[in-house]
Amino acid sequence: MHSINLHLKILIAVLVSLGFLITGYQIYVLDIPVTEDETDDIWSLDAKVEFRATPGTPIKAQFYIPPLNQEYVSLNESFISNNYGVSVNSQNGNRRVTWSSRRASGNQTLYYRLVLTKRYSEEQAAAAPPPPRQPIPLEGPEQIAADALINPIRQHSADIETFISETIRRVNDITDDNVKLLLNGGTGAMDKARVIDLLLSNARIPLEMVHTIRLENTEAQSPELWLRSYNGERWMYFHPETGQQGMPDNRLVWWTGPEPLLSMEGGRQSNVALTVTNSEMNALRLAKLTTENRASALLEYSLYGLPLQAQRVYQVMIMIPIGVLVILVLRNLIGVQTLGTFTPVLIALAFRETDIVWGIALFTIIIALGLSLRSYLEHLKLQMLPRLSVVLTFVVLLIAVISLISHKLGMERALAVSLFPMVILTMTIERLSITWEERGAGHSLKAAVGTMIAATLAHLLMTIPELTYFVFTFPAVLLILVAFMLAMGRYRGYRLTELVRFKALSKQA
Amino acid sequence: MFFWKTWKALQAQGVMGINRRNADYVLKYNKRHLYPVVDDKILTKERAIAAGINVPEMYGIIDTEKDIDKFDSIVAPYSDFVVKPAQGAGGDGILVIADRYEGRYRTVSGKIISHEEIEHHISSILSGLYSLGGHRDRVLIEYRVTPDEIFKSISYEGVPDIRIICLMGYPVMGMLRLPTRQSGGKANLHQGAIGVGVDLATGLTLKGTWLNNIINKHPDTTNPVEGVQLPDWNGFMTLAASCYELSGLGYIGVDLVLDQDKGPLILELNARPGLNIQIANDTGLTARCHLVEHHLAALKKAGKTETVDERVAFSQLHFGAQLNAEPSDTQPSPEPA
Repeated sequence: MHSINLHLKILIAVLVSLGFLITGYQIYVLDIPVTEDETDDIWSLDAKVEFRATPGTPIKAQFYIPPLNQEYVSLNESFISNNYGVSVNSQNGNRRVTWSSRRASGNQTLYYRLVLTKRYSEEQAAAAPPPPRQPIPLEGPEQIAADALINPIRQHSADIETFISETIRRVNDITDDNVKLLLNGGTGAMDKARVIDLLLSNARIPLEMVHTIRLENTEAQSPELWLRSYNGERWMYFHPETGQQGMPDNRLVWWTGPEPLLSMEGGRQSNVALTVTNSEMNALRLAKLTTENRASALLEYSLYGLPLQAQRVYQVMIMIPIGVLVILVLRNLIGVQTLGTFTPVLIALAFRETDIVWGIALFTIIIALGLSLRSYLEHLKLQMLPRLSVVLTFVVLLIAVISLISHKLGMERALAVSLFPMVILTMTIERLSITWEERGAGHSLKAAVGTMIAATLAHLLMTIPELTYFVFTFPAVLLILVAFMLAMGRYRGYRLTELVRFKALSKQA
Repeated sequence: MFFWKTWKALQAQGVMGINRRNADYVLKYNKRHLYPVVDDKILTKERAIAAGINVPEMYGIIDTEKDIDKFDSIVAPYSDFVVKPAQGAGGDGILVIADRYEGRYRTVSGKIISHEEIEHHISSILSGLYSLGGHRDRVLIEYRVTPDEIFKSISYEGVPDIRIICLMGYPVMGMLRLPTRQSGGKANLHQGAIGVGVDLATGLTLKGTWLNNIINKHPDTTNPVEGVQLPDWNGFMTLAASCYELSGLGYIGVDLVLDQDKGPLILELNARPGLNIQIANDTGLTARCHLVEHHLAALKKAGKTETVDERVAFSQLHFGAQLNAEPSDTQPSPEPA
């Protein structure tokens, strides 16, 4: 006995830890969402390139598009361009699409769309460190102005990081004559970035221009310029005007380098409009979508790998243990009496077809009528099998009549009763009438009500969509359920109803 | 907290719940393959006869429809008899014929039934109408027990029986079951019969239980049920204790009757005896069972086994009502696990 207990305890511990481990692995490592309603942000980036074609010349439009090696993963990417050849090539970590056409005339519009999301992407390697650089050669007054700026910066800084911050601060001080000279009249971010680059190159500090886009619902966004430098360990990002360090999370790098977004040959009056729209998508669908793109077996071996038809069946089936658990608790912990052990679960399954209120009503009506027939048959002294057959046929007729009447009355709901498992009903009637004779009306009524309560409870629990989703997605929780059932198998405490039953014994204590 | 207080009080009383009975006793002591011995009354009877234990005499068995024709020849020598399903439950399907009347039969309740009706009844039993799970069944025709005069004043119709629960052959608790008008002459507690506790040492009746309440008088005869001396009590105890060897089941309820001519007889055995016996005796079963288990463990250590008489003596020593009322230091504290 002792060894059996130990065995049981170990088994329970193994099942519980296995259940938790597998579920935890699914949630935390595979990143499968815990609820069905969990949604993720999806960003679609639309670029609209418009230009006027110069008649008689071939057209070649080169347009940067976001590289796909970031912490975002692409769900869909499309190029919409009639009569244009499209080719995408990568260089220096950038991606560039080239639209080309032999001839075109009038206004031209090219579209590019990228849909991406943040989840389910693997860690990406950071961009490669830049090669050491040579100072940009300067001449005459520019060299003097640069030197005049660099010397105080060098004095006010300790390392690359502070050097860059100080440079940005100085360059943004446009009252400074040296800066004015170097800016050469321009005040835009690109001009400042150019000067900063110039100054930093003299200090042999690498610098890259990073053009980013904000992932916010905006129409007509223009790329935001950031600067980044490498301090030997990691990339540091700076805003060229405010000097802000560190790029916010919602920025997506579109391209790097000093070149413009669009370079055009054979066209003029070119214009680029960038639109960012945000939508939400069911996280699980998203997971499946990204899985397809990544061709990994993330969900391949879960129940989602089954054909849809089978999935629907399993979604019902996998909830049956939950219903059984309800019966177990009701019977062994609370002490509710039910007809048969798992009859309530079967009835609960039947409720799926009819909806709960209707189900209970129909069930009660059919059982009541069936019982009266059964008690009439009792007088005829029939043998069991013929009697059961008569009751079953009667139940079928009854269901047909009820369906017909309710249909004529315009209550389509009751038609569902035709799928109501008749055998369950027949067996319930038989059981109930036997209980009635053996144990009396009171007891059988108690059992019938208990069955109803158990079935209702089981049905309600089995149809909670969140629970269904959870159990279906993480079937390992059933192992934890089994562990609980095992533990219940050796439960020796009182049932709640026994406390009432033996109340007389507790009085004189 | 009503529940918690009651729970604690019941636990202190050593009251056994269904879960404990099933887990610690029925599952532990009763091997599944031995169940047919107690589920089938014919098998029980055959075993008992082979072991020389007193049972109501068996007149005959009918096990096929064809054999129904033999019914007449089986009952020909007797004016009263009982027809029962071998695997019936809860006293269902039992037909008690008290007399014959003009070629017909008269039941104990005075109803006259024809020969055809009896044949139909037998056919129903054979088809499994009364058996658990609706399996085919056999019909047992046996001696009708005439209850001893002693029960006249505290019983309504039917045959009172005595239920003794035995753990490994040690009687642990006993109860006299008295039919009432409500139970329709049946001695089943959940059908409304009265359960009256019995002092295992003396055979004196204690208070009664009726529908889970403690009562003092029989509801139909209004005679007090307490303090009645059951005759030949040692005979009952010995019969009950010997059922362990007969069935091989460790935890059983033995149903016995007291026939006015033949004395104590075994009616049937039950592998899942009910728990209401505790209310009738106003005592919990768990404490008594633990005592027996301790005793058995001690015997096992010493490498001894006890005979039926020794077991009865042990039970009478420890489970008498008077002794039980006094605090006794020989009893080890219960609840080992």
